[in-house]
Amino acid sequence: MYEMDGEEIFVIDGHVHLWDAREENIIHEGGEQFLQCFYDYHTGFTPEEKQWDIDTYRHYGADKMTEDLFGNAAADMAIFQPTYLDDFYDEGFNTTEQNAELAEEYPERFVLNGSFDPRDGEEGLRYLEHLKEEYDIPGVKLYTAEWRGESKGWRLDSDEAFEFLEKCADLGIENINAHKGPTIRPLNRDAFDVKDIDDAASSFPELNFIVNHVGLPRLDDFCWIAAQEPNVYGGLAVASAMTTNRPRKFGEIMGELLYWLGEDRVLFGSDYALWNPDWLVDQVMNAELTDEQRDEYGVELDVETMKKVMGENVAELYDIDIEEKKRQFRDDDITERFDLGAHYGGDAGAAAD
Amino acid sequence: MSGSSTDPTADAGSDTGGDSPSDPAGEPQRISAVRDRLDRVEDPELARSIVELDYVDAIEVDGDRVEVRFTLPTAWCSPAFAWMMATDARDEVEGLDWADEARIELCDHMHGDEITTGVNARDTFGETFPDADGGVAEVRAAIADKARVSTQREAVDALLDAGVDPEQVVALDRSDVEVAGDEAHVDLGGLSVVVDADPVADYLDRVETSGHVTGPDDTLFLTPEGDPISAERLDVVQKRSRLASVNMGGQGAVCDALHRARHGPDGPDGSGASYVDQSGDGPSAYDGDVDEFTSTWTLSGDD
Repeated sequence: MYEMDGEEIFVIDGHVHLWDAREENIIHEGGEQFLQCFYDYHTGFTPEEKQWDIDTYRHYGADKMTEDLFGNAAADMAIFQPTYLDDFYDEGFNTTEQNAELAEEYPERFVLNGSFDPRDGEEGLRYLEHLKEEYDIPGVKLYTAEWRGESKGWRLDSDEAFEFLEKCADLGIENINAHKGPTIRPLNRDAFDVKDIDDAASSFPELNFIVNHVGLPRLDDFCWIAAQEPNVYGGLAVASAMTTNRPRKFGEIMGELLYWLGEDRVLFGSDYALWNPDWLVDQVMNAELTDEQRDEYGVELDVETMKKVMGENVAELYDIDIEEKKRQFRDDDITERFDLGAHYGGDAGAAAD
Repeated sequence: MSGSSTDPTADAGSDTGGDSPSDPAGEPQRISAVRDRLDRVEDPELARSIVELDYVDAIEVDGDRVEVRFTLPTAWCSPAFAWMMATDARDEVEGLDWADEARIELCDHMHGDEITTGVNARDTFGETFPDADGGVAEVRAAIADKARVSTQREAVDALLDAGVDPEQVVALDRSDVEVAGDEAHVDLGGLSVVVDADPVADYLDRVETSGHVTGPDDTLFLTPEGDPISAERLDVVQKRSRLASVNMGGQGAVCDALHRARHGPDGPDGSGASYVDQSGDGPSAYDGDVDEFTSTWTLSGDD
């Protein structure tokens, strides 16, 4: 937890991965390129003294991840968002099963999401049922730009995708996290395009659609869709890293998000291991709007807003009782391992620095 | 090198507005002329020059032949955008009177080989990427439309600042506005308001080119969808167009960080010089081989 203006802020990192990009796991040149592109993001935004070397980045493992997320109490909880990329990586890049390694060790600290790919048809529907049964997943992370044989992607507003969303609704898998990022192949299922969210969100009002990376680089389309669809949310991963070297730009983006979506629909995420919450949370918590931005957008990054963005909004989506968690964390395994007892014992903010 | 035997009227007839080399026969001047031409090529997503963005790795001039190598911030940059930049660069360079042949090489890109080959062979985008869902023209149109919305915001702001009411703004037709010199005159039914010409002229350029506003009776200002605006919705339309500008800048921040991560602050060659006269060096050793591709990457941030 962090302290801001004398109040505790419970931090739920809404976007983390446990990935394996070791060379022996790569079966397609796209796998190497994918990881290298991630590493460019890492070094492009991480303060120099906090950067990892490439070998660590390829495979950091469960132990380092636990320490990075919780060791200095940067985050109190985290939500796993798998990215399968089966055509690139032998065992997958970051699958539900890989993430479960850690989520099952510390079930009180992690939420485990699954995934689906509508191109898998009947088999995919059965896999989704299996994930629900095996891990009781409350959500899925979808990677619409993923390659599958000849196909270079898919859309959330297709008939096939709707069949899977219907299944999610039936199974009670309510949180649909969609990655919207760089394109892989010319115009094919252009992954920049957030427009498929629109129809999906209005067709499935019982589901929540969390657009990761707030649709960057299509923030304008995203905000306009979200302004009209109350079940569309914005995940801050990537945008939050702009606090490193573009704090004014971060303020501007936050201004737009708070203006169009409001403070209840913006969610913090580090995108670990792209970025590490141990420094990122600090930066986001200390971000400020300029006077000009306050005037322009009529919003504030005050303690009430940050409480929601950093934890309460994610808690709402995933039915997390923050007060109950605080009590639980006074003496859970993570607290014992990292000696965080004082942190959860009412001495708010002790570990925030 | 054949630089000394070229036509002394190099770049004559171009509309570069003073960028002609003072000594067109000299190679450095020719490189400079090429750079000025490339300065007009924009990253379509950011609406900023590829020279300003530091994408250009090298310019080589050998007589009437020009080779340009450029690298984008990530190998995953949209191939359609990369294609636009490569073809625009080729066409700009070949717009120089003395440049008979321009060869453009896109380095370190997922589809660098296909784009380099296709652009230099004068193939179309569709021939190069047969499985693409749409054409470059559609992407260009979509981007141009964002620019239309963005310039509308500036123009509308100028009118509102000059005291024109929202009701009057949304009711304007094309024929109600006239640009003369530094001023734009807005006819409000007998009463004329004068504002700075620039934002209005920029906007008119965009909407005339896009075909949104052509005839004298066409409504001047439109929603992003191209419909007339009601007075009470003008504020929302203005905020949507603000969002378009914020989006463009946000993507710029990401691209800039990725570019620095790959190449360091001193540019791709690590020398600190963005434009290197390497004439006579022959083509780049980059051959699209993935091992070299990734080894280049591994150096990211180190130099």
